Amino acid sequence: MDVKIKETLLNPILKGNPITVLVLGICSSLAVTVELKGALVMAVSVIIVTGLANLILSILRNTIPNRVRIIVQLVVVALLVILVDQILKAFAYPVEKQLSVYIGLIITNCIVMGRIEAFALGNKPFASLLDGIGNGAGYGLILIIVAFFRELLGSGTLLGMRVIPESLYDAGYMNNGLVILPPMALILIGCIIWVQRSFQKDLQEK
Amino acid sequence: MNTNGNIYTVVYSTIIVVLVAAILAFVSSALKPMQDANEKAETISQMLAAAGILDKDAPATNEQILDTYANEIKEAFVIDADGQKILDLSVARENIELRSDLKPQNKELLKKNAEYKPQVELPVYVFNNGSTVIPVYGAGLWGPVWGYVAFAQDLKTICGAYFDHGSETPGLGAKIKDDPAFRELFKGKVPNFDAEPAFAIVKEAKGDSEVDAITGATMTSKGLSAAIATWLNGYAPYFTANAAPAKNKCNCGKFCPCGESCECDCHCHPGQTQCECPGCACENCPTGSHKMEE
Repeated sequence: MDVKIKETLLNPILKGNPITVLVLGICSSLAVTVELKGALVMAVSVIIVTGLANLILSILRNTIPNRVRIIVQLVVVALLVILVDQILKAFAYPVEKQLSVYIGLIITNCIVMGRIEAFALGNKPFASLLDGIGNGAGYGLILIIVAFFRELLGSGTLLGMRVIPESLYDAGYMNNGLVILPPMALILIGCIIWVQRSFQKDLQEK
Repeated sequence: MNTNGNIYTVVYSTIIVVLVAAILAFVSSALKPMQDANEKAETISQMLAAAGILDKDAPATNEQILDTYANEIKEAFVIDADGQKILDLSVARENIELRSDLKPQNKELLKKNAEYKPQVELPVYVFNNGSTVIPVYGAGLWGPVWGYVAFAQDLKTICGAYFDHGSETPGLGAKIKDDPAFRELFKGKVPNFDAEPAFAIVKEAKGDSEVDAITGATMTSKGLSAAIATWLNGYAPYFTANAAPAKNKCNCGKFCPCGESCECDCHCHPGQTQCECPGCACENCPTGSHKMEE
């Protein structure tokens, strides 16, 4: 694979991760990470939306009037999000029922708008598509890590299946109610940022 | 080309918006039949789950759900606020009629002993296994909560329930749907139509017409409690008029403590203060015989 293509795709996953490095999309990552399943579907939906939004707006980039560009971006993103929601409703109803609130949240997700503004409006369509997919994946990765710990510690389950044995509960172990609430998600994201910066020294501010 | 001119900007925005609107309208109308079929099957599966016919956790296709409903339903009809049947709902496989437009029905209209009996249409679904399913609908914390409550053949005892919600907090309020243990609490409960409310979800439930609330989901529990109480009020005339005489009631006025309507036939002998209930076959009475309570 071409080095530049590889970099556009993989850079947002670790070195330029939208959540831990750009600190975008924090709000929705607090809301959808209570359970792993929701986080997984949200991750896939965001990858689709960021990828396609970047692609479409990159194709349109030379025609968009500068003064209304944010509105045009919003219209395109909203279109994609509603399409994802409608298609899930028709073909994957149980999943949609669980996630319809969160899927609407993608519209307000800063990553989508942020990447369109920062990348898609200044780059060719193919590179923009890869950048969108990469950023969606970077967002999804953090979502899944946070959701893993929140569901495990908060409910004692993973993907709805019980993983913490009954004997532990009998011995006095209890699920941590705080983990289910949004503040703990913020603390977990903070821990992830901490771990990442202790490995990637160049991210540390002097 | 100057992409910053006023005319260009207006024309461009108009074209984009019209184009997007056209795409959305087309997709929406193309997918509508499938979405409606999904919603109908979901509604039916929730009723079947409440009636104890279908396991909601086992995946089932829409066709399977409709087949099960058509096979298991005995009759479906609509009653008014006085408990009188006003029309029948079709239960044929090709044309299953439901009343799922519960939202417009104002809860004020269902108030207990209201002087003004409004025009309400309350659906009743009776299944072959003897259970009667009614809907409940109300406001949770973030959005609507609704569900189905199934009554046993005696029309007094709740034999199952299934709840769902629009957007309650996952892990907390969402437990009304996700936690099977919560639904189990309703089994064997007997709403008291003479009391206000007839049924309640409270902290530290006591008695037959209360169940325990969910920790950390006070508002959801309260909302669901109000929803159930409101709708039970609406159905109270129907249930009180049609309830079977209690089979678990002894002729001296005492009750079988297991709370279920067991088929036992017991009599107090003159001069005795306690009566026995031999032949009770319900699962809470393993010995098949026990003392009756006040």
